[in-house]
Amino acid sequence: MGSYILRRLLQSVIVVIGVTLVSFLALQASGDPTYLFVSERASAEEIEATRQALGFDRPLHVQYLSFVRDLTRGDFGQSLSYRQPAMDIVLEALPATIELTLFSMIIALLFAIPLGILAAIHRGTAWDGSITTLSMLGQSIPNFWMGIMMILFFGLYLRWFPISGHVPFLAPLLDGDFGTAVTNLPRTLFHLILPGIAVGTYSLARNTRLIRSSLLEVLEQDYVRTARSKGLAEFRVLVHHALRNAWLPVVTIVGLEFGFLLGGVVVVETVFSYPGIGRLLFAAINQRDIPLVQAGVILLAGVFILLNLVVDLVYVRLDPRVKLAGGRG
Amino acid sequence: MNRRNHVTRLAAVGLLGAVTVLSACTERADDTLIIGLSADITTFEPGMISSRDNANIARHIFGTLFSLSAEGDHLPDLAHTLDISDDGTAYVYTLNEGLTCHDGEPLTAEDVAYTFNRVADPANRFTGNSPGFVYTSIGFQSAEVVDDLRVQINLARKNPIAFGLLTEIYVHCKDSYESMSLDEAAANPIGSGPYRLASWTRGSEVVLEKVKDPGNFERIVWRIIPEASTRTAELVAGNVDIITNVVPEQIEAIDASGRAQVQVVSGTRRMYLGFNLSEASSQLPGGDAIQDPRVRRALQYAVDVPTICQQLLSVDCERATGPVNRPNDNPALTPYPYDPATAEALLDDAGWPRGSDGNRFSIRLQAGQGRYVNDVNVVLAISQYLTDVGLDVELELMEWASVYTPLLRERSMGPLFFLGSGGGLWSPIYDMTDLADVNSGTNYTHWDDDRWFSRWADLSAAETPEERRTIIDEMLQVFYDDGPWLHMYFQPDFYGVSDRIDWEARRDERVYVFTAGLR
Repeated sequence: MGSYILRRLLQSVIVVIGVTLVSFLALQASGDPTYLFVSERASAEEIEATRQALGFDRPLHVQYLSFVRDLTRGDFGQSLSYRQPAMDIVLEALPATIELTLFSMIIALLFAIPLGILAAIHRGTAWDGSITTLSMLGQSIPNFWMGIMMILFFGLYLRWFPISGHVPFLAPLLDGDFGTAVTNLPRTLFHLILPGIAVGTYSLARNTRLIRSSLLEVLEQDYVRTARSKGLAEFRVLVHHALRNAWLPVVTIVGLEFGFLLGGVVVVETVFSYPGIGRLLFAAINQRDIPLVQAGVILLAGVFILLNLVVDLVYVRLDPRVKLAGGRG
Repeated sequence: MNRRNHVTRLAAVGLLGAVTVLSACTERADDTLIIGLSADITTFEPGMISSRDNANIARHIFGTLFSLSAEGDHLPDLAHTLDISDDGTAYVYTLNEGLTCHDGEPLTAEDVAYTFNRVADPANRFTGNSPGFVYTSIGFQSAEVVDDLRVQINLARKNPIAFGLLTEIYVHCKDSYESMSLDEAAANPIGSGPYRLASWTRGSEVVLEKVKDPGNFERIVWRIIPEASTRTAELVAGNVDIITNVVPEQIEAIDASGRAQVQVVSGTRRMYLGFNLSEASSQLPGGDAIQDPRVRRALQYAVDVPTICQQLLSVDCERATGPVNRPNDNPALTPYPYDPATAEALLDDAGWPRGSDGNRFSIRLQAGQGRYVNDVNVVLAISQYLTDVGLDVELELMEWASVYTPLLRERSMGPLFFLGSGGGLWSPIYDMTDLADVNSGTNYTHWDDDRWFSRWADLSAAETPEERRTIIDEMLQVFYDDGPWLHMYFQPDFYGVSDRIDWEARRDERVYVFTAGLR
């Protein structure tokens, strides 16, 4: 398993380089970033001086190779707009997005598992029909629209929850400030409820359907029939025989979804004024802050690669039939 | 009552209690003012600040030598006196006594000279408004200490608007900034103004604490709320006191809320349809037609600006007759009326009759989107009005930052383009400096009419304000008749203000709350 992990990590280096190259070229192709850093009255000389100061006067391949060389030294460069180390800014925004992502996934799983099981074991009944219909609705509603509706109803009309903002929990925790983290926790959760639901609804709906279909497939298997014929209680059949195998596709999806959500909640972060990594990168792309975008992309790519690896390892753990290529399982 | 119902009821009561307690936690004290901004803040480095929102916060942290009032008056701030040398190239400011920066360091002429020279230092590679716009415009040379309380700013040449532009330089102390790296200075401003930075959560909020007068609130919280409907909801819910950039569609909802009102002010930003008169543009379809001043004048009658304002901006805008804001404009000029028949007649006279297909000529109209109030719809309306008088308009709406901005900087938009240009109230000349030179970076039109550009020398040589005023009015008459802009309107600015707050929005986009108070 050790050699498998090592090989995967080496492969990930190639992936990260590929990702940085694509994002670098995409940003460069969208226009000369220099113009965004000069005043509208700047003369041609001032524009050229700024271009040189920002390093955009060099050939593209030199700029990129210089970036990669700095990267090997752990230097992600300075954000052009914040004038601070790019990775520091990304890491500053990451905890807020992790909080939102974790919270929404917990909500999603907390409700998806019982609903999916309920729909599967009551297949064809009103329970199944209602849950399936609601799931389709949950997948169809755009999360930004749902966010705005929740703001209006729960935030403005009922005034139950905060309309926007964020109270940090992970950031002080990671800084070792446990007191602040603990003090903040109730308010952190309070502020997470509306954006968490807005983000999590799609996952909840999809996971519900996934668990239902996966469980239905397993419940048709011979070994489940065998278990039942041996006289085992239905609950025991469900938990010990069916669910264990039904988890496999769910684990894959949920693991990858976490990585996807880390960078993909930009709209909800904007609607709820949530200072996460998605909004940060969106602004950085608009501002053509290439070092900041690169730092964010590398971080997200790294998280995604890591999650893929974890999913693979969990998969092996859950399904003894699966062996890691080159490993002994 | 069975056990399950009992548990459910207890849980509901618990949840409601938690919500109530947590809601109470979010309530604020009366000594705190909360402002919702639409754009994020990127830096507190004085030499790097460029956006208006960023500058609005920075101005509360940093003092300036003089400042401009809402009406455009030049008022003392850190300095009480300004003496300008006879040749107009040396500005000597005398500072107030007993000034300090937020870290307690005494603020003297040495600090002011350091401030000016630090921002200009090419080694720092600053690209903000101060070095990029102010210094370029005034021909800044250097700053030097005269004595402890007097500092001299040296300019390359006489400049009638330097006194106003110098109000935009944020003063800071030498020792505190020399002890910080540029990285540190960007996030830890040590200012000289009434408020100091208490905390900055990037992308979320900036909290300022009062250190001295003026200022009626002990804390000002600037919250970043990018989504317009969320800003409105926060205002109506009573969670913020002032919001900027209210969208016209939400004015009614705010006014009807019983908790807040929208203040509409006629802003100083000049909105216009530009005619690109460059040689390159003249080679494009329609580019040759607009070279003729008669065609440009004809099109002034073609666009129904009042209707655009009423329907798309929800207000009666202040119409423009040129680049200068009221009350500094030429009072003899009246806005062009909407008169498509006159427009068509003038186009016929200019030699551009309708063809068999009903079109006079084809022309491209370019515009960025998402920058100005309801800009896409405004441009669509303009395009339709021009089509109505026989122009075959090819409309190109572009992403602002990546596509339109490079075109702007290269002055290659058009032949027709839609743009807003920031102006001021303190000097007509400031508003006119967009076209101070044919090759000026802001002369996007490449207009080169000698009746305008040759008068700048006369303006500089003018001895009296009356003489200067006469020249200005003559220049504005030329601009009105044959100029390179289709005069539209001064962009209205919309601010949502809580009923508990006494605050008046300014016309110049500056959100200063030094005198704001509770009702």
